[in-house]
Amino acid sequence: MSAVDVPVTGHANDHGDPHVNYLKAKSGIGSWLYTLDHKRIGILYLAMVSLAFLAGGIFALLLRFELFTRGKTIVDAETYNRFFTLHGAIMVFLFIIPSVPAALGNFCLPIMLGAKDVAFPRLNMWSFYIYLIGAGISLYSIINGAVDTGWTFYTPYSASPTKNYVWAMTFGVFVLGFSSILTGLNFLVTTHTMRAPGVTWRRLPLFVWGMYATAIIQVLATPVLAITVLLLGMERVFGLGVFDPRLGGDPVLFQHFFWFYSHPAVYIMIVPGMAIVSEIIATFTRRAIVGYFAIAMSSLSLALLGFLVWGHHMFTAGMSEFSTMLFSALTFLVAIPSGVKVFNWTTTLYKGDVWLTTPMLYALSFIFLFSIGGLTGLFLGSLSVDIHLHDTYYVVAHFHYVMMGGTVMGFIGGLFYWWPKITGKLYNESIAKVGWFLVFVGFNVTFISQFIMGSRGMPRRYYDYLPQFEPFHKASTIGSWILGLGMLIEAYALLSAVFSGKKSPPNPWGSAGYEWNTATPPVLANFVETPVITRGPYDYHLATPEELFDGFPEDAPKK
Amino acid sequence: MNGVMLALDPVSYQLPEAMATSAGPIDWLFGVIFWISAAFFVGIVGAMVFFAWKYRKRPGHKSEPTEHYPILELGWTIAPIPILVLLFHWGFQGYIDLSIPPADAIEIRVKGFQWGWDFEYPNGESDNVLHVPKDRNVKLVMSSTDVLHAFYVPGFRTKRDLVPSMYTSVWFRPTKTGETDLMCAEYCGGRSKDANGDELQPSQFKGHWSMWAKVVVNTPEDFEKYMDGLAPDLKGDPAKLAERGKTIWTKKQCAGCHTIDGSKGSAPTWKGLFGKSHKMADGTDVVADENYVRESILTPNAKIVAGYPSPSLMPSFQGTVKDKDIDAIIAFMKSIKD
Repeated sequence: MSAVDVPVTGHANDHGDPHVNYLKAKSGIGSWLYTLDHKRIGILYLAMVSLAFLAGGIFALLLRFELFTRGKTIVDAETYNRFFTLHGAIMVFLFIIPSVPAALGNFCLPIMLGAKDVAFPRLNMWSFYIYLIGAGISLYSIINGAVDTGWTFYTPYSASPTKNYVWAMTFGVFVLGFSSILTGLNFLVTTHTMRAPGVTWRRLPLFVWGMYATAIIQVLATPVLAITVLLLGMERVFGLGVFDPRLGGDPVLFQHFFWFYSHPAVYIMIVPGMAIVSEIIATFTRRAIVGYFAIAMSSLSLALLGFLVWGHHMFTAGMSEFSTMLFSALTFLVAIPSGVKVFNWTTTLYKGDVWLTTPMLYALSFIFLFSIGGLTGLFLGSLSVDIHLHDTYYVVAHFHYVMMGGTVMGFIGGLFYWWPKITGKLYNESIAKVGWFLVFVGFNVTFISQFIMGSRGMPRRYYDYLPQFEPFHKASTIGSWILGLGMLIEAYALLSAVFSGKKSPPNPWGSAGYEWNTATPPVLANFVETPVITRGPYDYHLATPEELFDGFPEDAPKK
Repeated sequence: MNGVMLALDPVSYQLPEAMATSAGPIDWLFGVIFWISAAFFVGIVGAMVFFAWKYRKRPGHKSEPTEHYPILELGWTIAPIPILVLLFHWGFQGYIDLSIPPADAIEIRVKGFQWGWDFEYPNGESDNVLHVPKDRNVKLVMSSTDVLHAFYVPGFRTKRDLVPSMYTSVWFRPTKTGETDLMCAEYCGGRSKDANGDELQPSQFKGHWSMWAKVVVNTPEDFEKYMDGLAPDLKGDPAKLAERGKTIWTKKQCAGCHTIDGSKGSAPTWKGLFGKSHKMADGTDVVADENYVRESILTPNAKIVAGYPSPSLMPSFQGTVKDKDIDAIIAFMKSIKD
């Protein structure tokens, strides 16, 4: 990589010396609260989504514990119904949708493009504050109200007069949607207009391709969520019959609206996870991803297909047979781009130099778990089999394998992978690997038992269950404890690195990725000089030994 | 034991006992997809683990530059398509068979409500247990009186949402006599506190999960006998009518709140209720006569007894309780009025 002298201008001037470590460029609480630096905004987001993950995780452990025995274990039925509603709503809207794009995407995307920041730094800050406002409104409804509708807010149950706080909760989701749209818009414009010289579309890191595909969905699908919430509001305030049959509305229409957003949202969740896995696998096999272009295009085709398959959530809901057929056929198409990714990643290992670091273990776990998540999707896409499995624990296990086994594994892998870049510190590999092992084992114990009880007929969202399901619930709850312990260890590994970790060299993984070819942690303006890119981000055979050197510059071999 | 079964027959272990013809094609397709998935999974993870070991990082070992594999890329993009088309085809075929009831099917009306079921048989009588005849086609015409519910009998592999404001239907043909479970599969809420916010006993918790009902598959002869038994000849015998009222008290879930022995429940006890004057929440005194009982069943909020929550916890039974059932309930109340 060579460089040309380009004077550094822009917002960086207001925020300290652009050539100093971004963490030290300015200090004080205000330097964080009013920051326009995409890296710091990424960290603010990371802090908030981690809190949301913690809260969602605590609810998960509580509801699993309630199900440990039949009848009442720790809480009453209404409390349990709130637990699973809050678990779902917090995990989906406050954690997983913003997790990768808003936290890691914000941090990495501009650096990977060779840009100083995102296109609209002020909008980026606003998107964070809008997220906070949305989260605050949701929190208000959580504390004051008893939202027990499930995260899908199906009418007419959610429209009953006693459920006043459902509207507060959905209004919070409405506000969160704007945050999501602004982040997506920012990423689209940044990717189109701010690539450094030499970063052609064919040399775009796959993480950026993933963020780009995600941003398209965020910008196009999220407004539908806003429309839905507005219609719910009009129905409530003006008595306009839209979804509530008591007013002449159609409850199935609500499901169409809801899933028209929420299915594309599934791809807002999974595509970023896939994007991280592509980066990690390239780095730790020392090899370009096989089928780079196919992987990039498969992200875009998933984004597109994501808009066409919402009806597969409604196979038993009372849709016409014709629509049901179309949605099933389209759903099977999703298997093709998903398969392309998995096959390409696996083939990349072939003739690589496979380094089993913690991020790599998470990336390989992603392949393992996402394969299960994806293949069980075949059962659910097949109409007649879905009739039996719909709304059972089989579906719960399926989407946890995709969302948690996929996105969350990618997210945690990405955290470990970029932790040295973000903090400038190295985490402890051994501790992190012990945590990974517990997460992997715990996750499988928790959810494989749910597959079996689901296909044996255990419906979702049950406070109590028939005796034949007890052993499976017991196993699943024990699995959740192992999983929770593993997560705690990983949190410790990451946090202890910040406070007592060893200093990281600029490129600890010896990666050819663009983001590693600047200071670690990056300077405020990301690069001292605007980089000129002359090779792709995975061209290990074109990279110089200096670029791939994984030690400290002072230890570098003399030329 | 389970482990051994799992190893020998992983497919049937994952499915409940089949009790209707609809289970056959679904279980077959489940098995086909299971083995296809297992093959892909073992292939992918096997390759992954093998490559990760064979090409592990070690001193002197280096990666080789990635080549282009256009044939391979094209191959794994196209090869899954025929499999996917077949799975779609089989799934859709099975679905269509499940969707079109045979013309000779016996029709049973199903009503779902928070939180229970009501099954009305061709002779006009109803029950909270679903009896169906073996080797006969049965069609259910279903509706909900409040929120979404879903009719789910794992043993029949059949499921369909009950939607307020529309009819949905399923059909099946039972193949085995015996009992199996019917569950609600669409979340419909729950209650564990009374209207004052005080927690009820765990046994009184009601909700989505408690919409369980027994499905009994009878021989066609037993099914006819069962239907006849639902419609006893009650003419001119108050004792029989009261007896029927007591049956309705359990079957329509009155028993959850109204006791009949004078003990306190979350609603007034029926013991000694009929014919007496009661103080209402609005201060008026009302005599519990036939009209009062009828009104309370059909519009529970019209008059609420002092000391009980307002609005009432009781759902309206408009449309789910027939006039002759109300007569029977009144007869039963009269029989325990002292």
